[in-house]
Amino acid sequence: MAELTLPRPTGRRPFHVGLALALLGTVLFALVLARQPALEGPQATALEQLLLWHSLLPRAATALLAGAALGLSGALLQRVLRNPIADPSTLGIAAGAQLALTLALAFAPALLAVSREGTAFAGGILAVALVLAMSWRRGFEPVTVVIAGMTLSLMAGAMSAALILARGDYVFSLFIWGAGALHQQNWQPALLVGTRLALGAGAALLLLRPLELMTLDDAAARSLGMAVQGMRLVLIALAVWLAASVVSQVGVIGFVGLAAPAFARLGGARRPGAVLLAAPLIGALMLWITDSLVQLTASSGGDLIPTGAAVGLLGGPLLLWLLPRLPASPARPPMATGHARRLRRPGRALALLAAGAVLIGALALLAGRDLDGWALATGPVLAELAVFRVPRIVAAAAAGGLLGAAGAIMQRLTGNPLAGPEVLGVSAGAGVGLALALTLSPAPSAALLLAASAGGALGALALVLLMAAWTGFAAERLLLSGIALGCTALALLSAVFAAGGPGSFRLLAWMSGSTDRVGAHEAWMLAACALVLLLPVAVLGRWLDILPLGAGVSAALGVPVGASQLALTLLAALMTGVAAFFVGPLSLVGLIGPHLARLTGFASGRSFVFASALIGAGVLLLADWLARMLAFPYQLPTGLLAALVGGPYLIWLLQRGEPRHG
Amino acid sequence: MRPGPGLSRRALLAAPLVLLAPGARAEGTALRVATIDWALLETLLGMGITPVAAAELVLFREVAVEPPVPPSVVDIGLRGAPNFEALRLTRPSLIFSSNYYAEMEPTLRLIAPVETLSIYRTGDPPFGRAEAAAERIGVVTGREEAARALIARVSAQIAAERQNLASHAGRPMLVLNLGDSRHFRVFGADSLFGEVLTRLGLANAWGERTSYAASAPIGLEALARFPDAFLVILRPVPPDAARVLSTSALWNALPNVRDRRFAVLDSVDPFGGLPAAARFARLLGAALRAEGEAAGRGGDLG
Repeated sequence: MAELTLPRPTGRRPFHVGLALALLGTVLFALVLARQPALEGPQATALEQLLLWHSLLPRAATALLAGAALGLSGALLQRVLRNPIADPSTLGIAAGAQLALTLALAFAPALLAVSREGTAFAGGILAVALVLAMSWRRGFEPVTVVIAGMTLSLMAGAMSAALILARGDYVFSLFIWGAGALHQQNWQPALLVGTRLALGAGAALLLLRPLELMTLDDAAARSLGMAVQGMRLVLIALAVWLAASVVSQVGVIGFVGLAAPAFARLGGARRPGAVLLAAPLIGALMLWITDSLVQLTASSGGDLIPTGAAVGLLGGPLLLWLLPRLPASPARPPMATGHARRLRRPGRALALLAAGAVLIGALALLAGRDLDGWALATGPVLAELAVFRVPRIVAAAAAGGLLGAAGAIMQRLTGNPLAGPEVLGVSAGAGVGLALALTLSPAPSAALLLAASAGGALGALALVLLMAAWTGFAAERLLLSGIALGCTALALLSAVFAAGGPGSFRLLAWMSGSTDRVGAHEAWMLAACALVLLLPVAVLGRWLDILPLGAGVSAALGVPVGASQLALTLLAALMTGVAAFFVGPLSLVGLIGPHLARLTGFASGRSFVFASALIGAGVLLLADWLARMLAFPYQLPTGLLAALVGGPYLIWLLQRGEPRHG
Repeated sequence: MRPGPGLSRRALLAAPLVLLAPGARAEGTALRVATIDWALLETLLGMGITPVAAAELVLFREVAVEPPVPPSVVDIGLRGAPNFEALRLTRPSLIFSSNYYAEMEPTLRLIAPVETLSIYRTGDPPFGRAEAAAERIGVVTGREEAARALIARVSAQIAAERQNLASHAGRPMLVLNLGDSRHFRVFGADSLFGEVLTRLGLANAWGERTSYAASAPIGLEALARFPDAFLVILRPVPPDAARVLSTSALWNALPNVRDRRFAVLDSVDPFGGLPAAARFARLLGAALRAEGEAAGRGGDLG
């Protein structure tokens, strides 16, 4: 079972560590109180009292209670899903809740007046349902669940970004929620989270026996008289409720739910009851200490970094640290061997796919809307519009092709059907590079932005490769390193968003994924990159055929396992990094392309990758055309549109699944 | 109705006629300008020039409100992602852009020559730059007299408000937006509002620098540091925030709120041009003159 294997501590260490943490928290809070600026004026004393009672104390209480609620939520999820890396952030619950609040603010503000908490809960439940649906076929295997959760979080983030862009500065409070801020002006949030925590803890106490039985496998638990699935649903709903109540009051606070149970287990808690007791306490202290540090580093112009983002920065390193301690999953039958159907003439099918992509490209070039309605461009009008349409078409096709190919390589490498190129962390790295350029330079040129994004992507790539090499290139380790890096990068980005300003709007445009800034120069550069990166696949086909058979077989067949994995990872990451600059961090094209290619029956490594690339190109071409047409003259973000159109289809595909392919 | 805005509206109504008049064609072609930037859109409209295309008009009408945009202006979509094809179809002969959109300039140049006028640059006070932008627009469109008229009109309006507000001279003000019931952002001395305050003879209570005219979101409790300031709250006020704050002990105990030393102003574009400056001065003047009347409404922000 997926239980952490941690060194067993001796003696009374856990108690001492807890005491030390509590002491640290108290000292920091005393410093916060002492550092309050003295007020002036006749009512200064009364005001200072008021601030203490209505701002400082409720803030501390909210930090403690929210931390405890998240800790409990994480502990419950980890127990129920038998997944040591589950928590409200990795499962996409926080992102789903936040997206629901964002949508409500933009389209139905009255809903927020009725119930912020209910809105957030609906979003969280929907998110967790989607994540579980996507990972159903893989038996809720930890890494797969987390990949699905992170993909969903990215998607929710892209949607929020698009909404903020469309509503302008107008909704700057959305930034605050995204990064989780604990400022308070009354006791109401503390009371709300506190009562939910009390109810949740009571329920957990009542359900302690079923929770203990959850350690067993389902059959054993059922034989002891437990309605396993029903109990699981109840407990998941409870965990989502706890997390949603926190999100509705203070925004997204990442990874406390991941860290608290892990630290509890590290501190020696073994039985479910002990973990369920220790995790909330540790979570409370963690958030309290972080928030005090945030207050101590704040200038009079506001916090340096919002508390939620500060805690979120912990997420990446923590996942990395947990990584070598994750048990290796039981060996799976390699996914590439058995195919439901196999094309007899893959060459001809590839040609058909290429023709299809060209056809969509032609449609995108010729058909469009002008100020009066639909129009087919011909002659001089076409020549005039081609200046704008050709670069976008070339960029969409090249980026789609690159993402499709990268996804195909990733799936062959990891044997995981959810391993899209987005989870490599490379695109998030590109975002951090962009953020840096936008923060440091007031009016960066396109070339500078491209260079910064490439630098960020390469930096992230180097880190992922380093971590993967350190853990020996096991597929799961590679995926988790990518996710860990992505988490840290996203926390950094949310801190940049929280500060607002013109730079953050450019970054939002990138987040939501848009091809509209591609000039002719960039488009042809991207096309050249695509060719250079796709051509090596033609000679790497053998590796792609053999590697999925496992390290032993591969070595016996004369494939240099380590070197080939390194080369393929590098190739996939470069493809992702280049494409990400143009279409943003998430488009799901890297997942949709390979799935459709497999369904069509492309079996050999080479034809599989090329087919995925062609399908990816076609999908992104179509998405880009729709993005330009649907709300003309307003343009929708291409990447987001591809994700919205492709997402439901992908979930349906994964649900339907072919058991033999996992 | 005060003379200022009336004049601007008259000028605006006259603008199409001016374009049709033979005099306007002195330079050979009709004036067909487009703009991506909102501050420049305001300035153009304020000068009586109706552009053929401008960006994100749906939100502009909500946030900037004035000058009103004639229906003939084609909306070319989001400022951050304008539709180049739609812009091309309006056949502009000159496109105005600013530093925010530097990245898309090469593409814009495929459509028409681009004139980049940046009013907002980190650390640079915007009012003088807004006047310079109007002058430059006057030069490139051959409408220098309209530019001079706009600059003079806005100066005169602000000077008139200053006269009206003589009894408030030197009064500390805090201009802010509410994000939710717990956060606000404040406009510093380097913002358009900050400069208008100075020109009105008022003081900006926010002495610190801000990173981009407005500050990052700040916790509401920071307001307690400014018990003497008059709070100028710009709409939109989120409905959620208005509801929670009206019952909040901290909010209602703030000396400014308790003594009704605050006003809620209609939306003004914080990154606007000269017309936004005039609008802010007018709304603020009216609010300060009506200060006494707000009594009895409590901390209600409705």
